[in-house]
Amino acid sequence: MLRKKVPRLLQVFKRTSHCDRQQYDVIVVGGGHAGTEAAAAAARVGARTLLVTQKIQTIGALSCNPSLGGIGKGHLVKEVDALDGVCGRAGDWAGIHFSILNRRKGPAVWGPRAQLDRQLYREFIQSDLLSTPRLTVWEGSVEELMVEEPNPEKPGRHQVTGIRLGTPISARSVVLTTGTFLSGSLFVGQTSSPGGRIGDAPSSAGLSHTIRERLGLRTGRLRTGTPPRVVKNSVDVSLAKLHPADLNPTPFSFINTQTRCKPEEQLPCYLTFTTPAVERVVRENLHLNCHIQQDTKGPRYCPSIESRVLRFPGRQHQVWLEPEGLTSDLLYPQGLSTTMPPDVQLRLLREIPALHKAEIHTPGYGVQYDFVCPTQLSPALQVKSTQGLFLAGQINGTTGYEEAAAQGLVAGLNAARSALAMPTVMLSRTESYIGVLIDDLVSRGVTEPYRMFTSRAEFRASLRPDNADLRLTLKGFEELGCVSSERYKEAVRVRDTLQDAMAALQSLSALPHIWKQKLPNIEISENKSGELTCMNLLLYNDVTIEMLASVFPESLSPYMEFSQRLKIEAVYRPHCDLQKREMARIQREETMLLPEDLDYFSLPVSLSQEVREILDRVRPTTLGAATRLEGMTPAATVNLLNYVRFSNRKNKIHNMCLRT
Amino acid sequence: MKSCRHSSSLDGASVGMADADTIFALSSGHGRCGVAVVRVSGPASPTALSCMAGFRRGLMPPPRTAVLRSITDPHSNEVLDRGLVLWFPGPHSFSGEDSVEFHIHGGPAVITSVLQALGSVPGVRPAEAGEFTRRAFQAGKLDLTEVEGLGDLIHAETEAQRRQALRQMSGDLGRLYQAWSHRMKRCLAHVEAFIDFSEDELIDDGILTEVDRTVAQLQAEMEQHLKDERRGERLRTGVQVVIAGATNAGKSSLLNTLCQRPAAIVSPIPGTTRDVVDTALDIGGFPVLLSDTAGLRDSSDLVEREGIRRAVERLEQADLTLMVVDCSHIPADVQPAASFLREHLHKLMPSDQCLLVLNKTDLIADSQREKLAVGLQSVPGLPPFCLISCQTHQGLTDFLTALHSRVKTLCGNPLSGSPTLTQARHRTHLQRSVAALAQYQRYRDADLALAAEGVRLALTCLGRITGRVGAEEILDIIFKDFCIGK
Repeated sequence: MLRKKVPRLLQVFKRTSHCDRQQYDVIVVGGGHAGTEAAAAAARVGARTLLVTQKIQTIGALSCNPSLGGIGKGHLVKEVDALDGVCGRAGDWAGIHFSILNRRKGPAVWGPRAQLDRQLYREFIQSDLLSTPRLTVWEGSVEELMVEEPNPEKPGRHQVTGIRLGTPISARSVVLTTGTFLSGSLFVGQTSSPGGRIGDAPSSAGLSHTIRERLGLRTGRLRTGTPPRVVKNSVDVSLAKLHPADLNPTPFSFINTQTRCKPEEQLPCYLTFTTPAVERVVRENLHLNCHIQQDTKGPRYCPSIESRVLRFPGRQHQVWLEPEGLTSDLLYPQGLSTTMPPDVQLRLLREIPALHKAEIHTPGYGVQYDFVCPTQLSPALQVKSTQGLFLAGQINGTTGYEEAAAQGLVAGLNAARSALAMPTVMLSRTESYIGVLIDDLVSRGVTEPYRMFTSRAEFRASLRPDNADLRLTLKGFEELGCVSSERYKEAVRVRDTLQDAMAALQSLSALPHIWKQKLPNIEISENKSGELTCMNLLLYNDVTIEMLASVFPESLSPYMEFSQRLKIEAVYRPHCDLQKREMARIQREETMLLPEDLDYFSLPVSLSQEVREILDRVRPTTLGAATRLEGMTPAATVNLLNYVRFSNRKNKIHNMCLRT
Repeated sequence: MKSCRHSSSLDGASVGMADADTIFALSSGHGRCGVAVVRVSGPASPTALSCMAGFRRGLMPPPRTAVLRSITDPHSNEVLDRGLVLWFPGPHSFSGEDSVEFHIHGGPAVITSVLQALGSVPGVRPAEAGEFTRRAFQAGKLDLTEVEGLGDLIHAETEAQRRQALRQMSGDLGRLYQAWSHRMKRCLAHVEAFIDFSEDELIDDGILTEVDRTVAQLQAEMEQHLKDERRGERLRTGVQVVIAGATNAGKSSLLNTLCQRPAAIVSPIPGTTRDVVDTALDIGGFPVLLSDTAGLRDSSDLVEREGIRRAVERLEQADLTLMVVDCSHIPADVQPAASFLREHLHKLMPSDQCLLVLNKTDLIADSQREKLAVGLQSVPGLPPFCLISCQTHQGLTDFLTALHSRVKTLCGNPLSGSPTLTQARHRTHLQRSVAALAQYQRYRDADLALAAEGVRLALTCLGRITGRVGAEEILDIIFKDFCIGK
């Protein structure tokens, strides 16, 4: 089906390629997790969108681990889905082992996760994109960006007007999602070669050149790695611990009630451990490993097996053996990311129980790549100095499919809005993990690949996986324009039903001794005077909506479809209420915009040189972002606030201080 | 103690310190005064008034009218003072919010007890530097000239509060709070590690047992501390004035002259004073703690070096520095003299609150003294100066007048020398911190995310005293203590 579609799309492109008007509203470069969400979001907003990728066949490829979601990352998948993104639905289609991590630690930190069938995932993404209206997909390698003088009416020193792909193709907005391909190098043992993923051609040097030299963007270098893929038949899983999936798979997407994979068809994972011999092999062969010897920053939380045994010697380290797909002959040894020479990788592997006869299908390797320091971006993920240019994914210094998808959605959404002359939008850290991710990136920058953790979200009790639809779907339709009306209608129904149910739970009550009679297994404290509502009862750990429905069957039976959500909502509501004031304050500060071209060095307010330098370097977009900067003093914040108020009223100083 | 700067209410990720909080502060100056004014602003002001001045809910006194009441502790009902209370319903108040004023007797014991009682009213907390002013500004209650000076005012208040905090945190109390903060950070990091990584990684369940134990210990220790009426340390009250300068400039002579007794040993040998000599003084009715310090110079003598270190530490905490210079060492002509002084100040201690004391005028000719007195007046970039002789007391009257006026200004700022307010702040934050730790215990088994929220909140409250702790710092501990591999 896919192959049939592509030639037709190519023809569409050829017919329009010689017109001199704007050929597209949005061009997305790259077909990974960021690029696919960006292209889909741009098209949903209504932009004529072109996705350019080296190989249509690798759109939606899982370059590293065959899994989606997890703790913190699962939140991102739910949020992308709530904004009508692709990855949640793709996960439900391709998942072959579903589990909710942290099940016993509280619903705010539940981590929905699935092992994926690589092929099914790719197929779903490709078929979804290729059937998206207004979206064209083109195979090719972008040579460079077309850069022109800026539109003088908007802030910025440059303007990107399209890409060069043999011939120039123009667009109002360009989204770069080049992943590890920007000046990427692959490392195995002592050899290195240019490239961003094994088996794919390196990207054009022209793109890196444009970014650094022509646009003058600051870049840095990061590294990451992937483990060898192991032949399934060569693994003795009887020596590893079986780790089954959840009995009832929970779908990622709010619009799915079940997953494609039937519960009983799910494949298990296996757990095994490293041995002291693994550490010995690593130590004896360190000199054969140039990736690990360089000081390029790698992640602390996804380190290679080399880094793990060097940093924490004398310990056992976990190795997960994960299925790669329903029909795949391979296993993925999570935790064994390595850049040793292939023969050493094999020796190392065979020192692990269950892998003593393992055969390697593809060796592990490391990648080093350029990223653009993300403090140069606005919260809309637009490059502040360049009109029409948006960045998403690893190019911004993040790691992980989910982090990439989340940024891709926001960048694509804003690229489209900007191209269609609508104001760009941001998600606040008070309403979503996506907001936390982007705010951390653009206001703090990165020193190592950035990954989402739940501990990064200060409003964790409010930003739960279960309520992502209420947080984002309504806004996504009403304000952002990236959500379909069907999904919106469903979210409205859910919201209204939950509100009715909460009101019912609040109004249904009984005296303590009646409750004791009806629910004899619950220890209701005797000394409570007056009636207890259903809401009060739900605060007891063991009380479920089902139990309450047995007491008030008529009033509560209409809400049983949401029994789990209602229980969570009831327990968390008091904590969320406590956070509301603080959230409101942050939101208020986020509405106070700081002009993008403010010259902090000549601003006629009392600010120390130190603070001016910080502000000039980071160029926060809002007062809220400014207050979170390291080194900002209360006095400086008030002076800025004062300035913002004043300039909003008169706008005079603004023009005075605009950079010429 | 740079972190103190970050612990203001303007700070971004500061849970539980929203604008909607009700704040209070001592808004009269300190020193010898008959009446002290405590201001409360925010939605819980009526609550504070009703539970501390015996008004029943909904029956407030007439607006903007002084009423004489007994002021009581809301928990023990103990009468703390009899005084006037005023009720200003918003928006007709200084801050634009509902406000209350307590006019009470000026003794430190009364002030302390009222401030602490206020801090125990739910939803009410001590104001951070500049917070009253900022609220007034946001409510549009300040005119443009006031607004222009706002940043500087807040800067001054922040600095004063920072110095005050430095003083209190430099001793045993500071070490105690820092130690608690450190242990709490580890607890939080370990709970967070367990939440974010234990499904994939080898994180022993035992770490939670360890956290349980530490949280229980912290609760017990902090509660004990809050109960302890001695509160650990005697507070240094009054405006902190520090005498500094090069060796043998006559610093100790100045101290002895000011307190009219030989409090410090004076000799012609450079480096005579080696430790800080403190003397409590009364200058024109205002309490002053005058400190003589070791002369600042490079020394190889271990004891003297320690003395110099202490001198520098004290200088950082000073409200006002008296920089003493031997005027017989100053070049004769005005311009070189000005450069000499500027360089001298820059080298020893660049501080904005400084009075330059050119000592030993008895060693120079009268004509030279006159020339300097007139010539240096018009030199920009020099702090105010006085020419005196501790030997002959020449110029002493003028110097005392200048000193008195500076001390008076400093005392007018209620935050600058008020350890009771700092103490009340500490107490409120500690109480909240302990209460938040109880949330950990309550949710430990049912919902670890909500339990962690308790530790996080406790740390935020304690961080108001010891400096803010960001998410990155917690992650640093996690990655140091655990091997996270997925």
